[in-house]
Amino acid sequence: MSGPVSAGVAPSGRELTGWGRALRLQVIIGALLGTVSTIVGLAVGGYFWPRWAWFVVGLTLAGQVAVRGALRKPGGRGVAFAVHARLTVVLAAMEVTIWALTGGGLFWPIWALMVLGLALGAHVWVLHKHPNRERELTERVDQLTRTRRGVVDVQAAELKRIERDLHDGAQARMASLAMNLGLAEELVRRGDPDAVASLLAESRNSTLTAMDELRTVMRGIQPPVLSDRGLVGAVEALALDLAVPTTVIATVPGRIATPVESAVYLAVSECLANVVKHSGAAKAWVVLRHRDGLLSAVVGDDGAGGARLGGGSGLTGIVRRLEVFDGTVEVRSPAGGPTEIMMEVPCELSSPRTSSSSETE
Amino acid sequence: MRVVIAEDLVLLRDGVTRLLEAHAIEVVAALGDAGELLALLEREPVDLVILDVRMPPTFTNEGLRAAIDARARHPGLPVLVLSQYVEQIYARELMASGDGALGYLLKDRVSDVPSFISAVRQVAAGGTVLDPKVVAAMVTHHGNGARLAALTAREQEVLSLMAEGRANTGIAEQLVVTEKAVSKHINNIFAKLALPADTDGHRRVLAVLEYLQAGTASG
Repeated sequence: MSGPVSAGVAPSGRELTGWGRALRLQVIIGALLGTVSTIVGLAVGGYFWPRWAWFVVGLTLAGQVAVRGALRKPGGRGVAFAVHARLTVVLAAMEVTIWALTGGGLFWPIWALMVLGLALGAHVWVLHKHPNRERELTERVDQLTRTRRGVVDVQAAELKRIERDLHDGAQARMASLAMNLGLAEELVRRGDPDAVASLLAESRNSTLTAMDELRTVMRGIQPPVLSDRGLVGAVEALALDLAVPTTVIATVPGRIATPVESAVYLAVSECLANVVKHSGAAKAWVVLRHRDGLLSAVVGDDGAGGARLGGGSGLTGIVRRLEVFDGTVEVRSPAGGPTEIMMEVPCELSSPRTSSSSETE
Repeated sequence: MRVVIAEDLVLLRDGVTRLLEAHAIEVVAALGDAGELLALLEREPVDLVILDVRMPPTFTNEGLRAAIDARARHPGLPVLVLSQYVEQIYARELMASGDGALGYLLKDRVSDVPSFISAVRQVAAGGTVLDPKVVAAMVTHHGNGARLAALTAREQEVLSLMAEGRANTGIAEQLVVTEKAVSKHINNIFAKLALPADTDGHRRVLAVLEYLQAGTASG
């Protein structure tokens, strides 16, 4: 049972640490003592007492090696259990060895072994019964790392899209507008009013298109009605513009923090866009509710069903959006419908005075 | 005609003021926010209020609320709401605030000066002028799907132009058809939507809008 127990990965690798060096020294001294006592014991004859010298040396070393190996396990409750398990093995071995060295007979260590076994069993039970905080935290860190990367990716992509839209759209139109106006100026000097009039008309149209494009870009950043009316008002406004009749039932007595509001609005509007595009539904509904620090949004339709998460569907984007706020998305969409997409995000309401509880269609 | 303007962006406020004055419309006051508006309406007789949806202090929709409040206190007060964006829900709230004497347009429309001035005069005279974008949203709205689906594409076009407050001549020009063809389309629309035909342009618009609004409310 002695020998290097190298469970886990020690950061020091094969290098000997302070304890390691001390152990090596102990091994040498122990071997020396054992050998000397063996020689003396053999020379004197009679009862072979040096066996106890070997026993003490062996026990000391085994105990240390076992604990040291266990401590190399990566952090937390796992270490406590590893130390416990290894000490149990060492103690059990000690009992059995003492029994053997004292000449066997009735196997009395059974009682001690049973106690040790019970203690270890209790430890396993405790670990199993209580949720593993350590694993929870590890998972949480993983999730945070993943969602943080997701947010950064999504934001970077959105900024890039906005930049491109502005560059190719409004900015290009402004440039052509400036050119047209310059040309018009020249035509005025030359005295060609008809050409000027047509250039000006063209310029005006160009301005209007630029404004339309800017509106689209702004709507993509933050729909104005969301700033004006909050989540419920914005969803109601959205429902009015849909080709599928959509009922909105809302019990949200207050205003939600802007980032959550924006994420949930975009998630709901993505779901509703899916309803219009894919479901073939005759009617749809949105239920918004805030209760016990949890905002839930359910988007349902009586369409064909068969919607699912993953597979590059728009639903993946929704999950990514809400995950950032520890939100969850659940899809119930049997073939033949109806489909319900349930989203939940923990959040607090800010100002209950702008109370809103309404039902619109 | 005496007009009050409430718009927080100086550039646009001055632009609209200049535009109106160039068309012999008197601008009684040009305000920077909606707060002063109600007080001013108590003092001054006004033929039309032109106001922006988004204004201080919260820069959300106080202009819209002010318009609705003003119409509650002064029933029939003509109000023309201008905005950088239009929402069907706002149009419906405005329409619910009183009969007619209402305009709701994108600020873009101001650039078409003759149309804008004509919209101003129509609203002041008690007419209703809605932005084509709002009208389009209402016309395609599900609530009227069943009955509106009976309309041909051309008739839907005519209906949306009617709802913008255009007369037959205007519609005929826009669609490049004869006026006779337009009135035929209109009669078909009235028949399909079960509306009584009417020669009065303004009442015609109201009828269409009321129909649309009723459709959205019950649909």
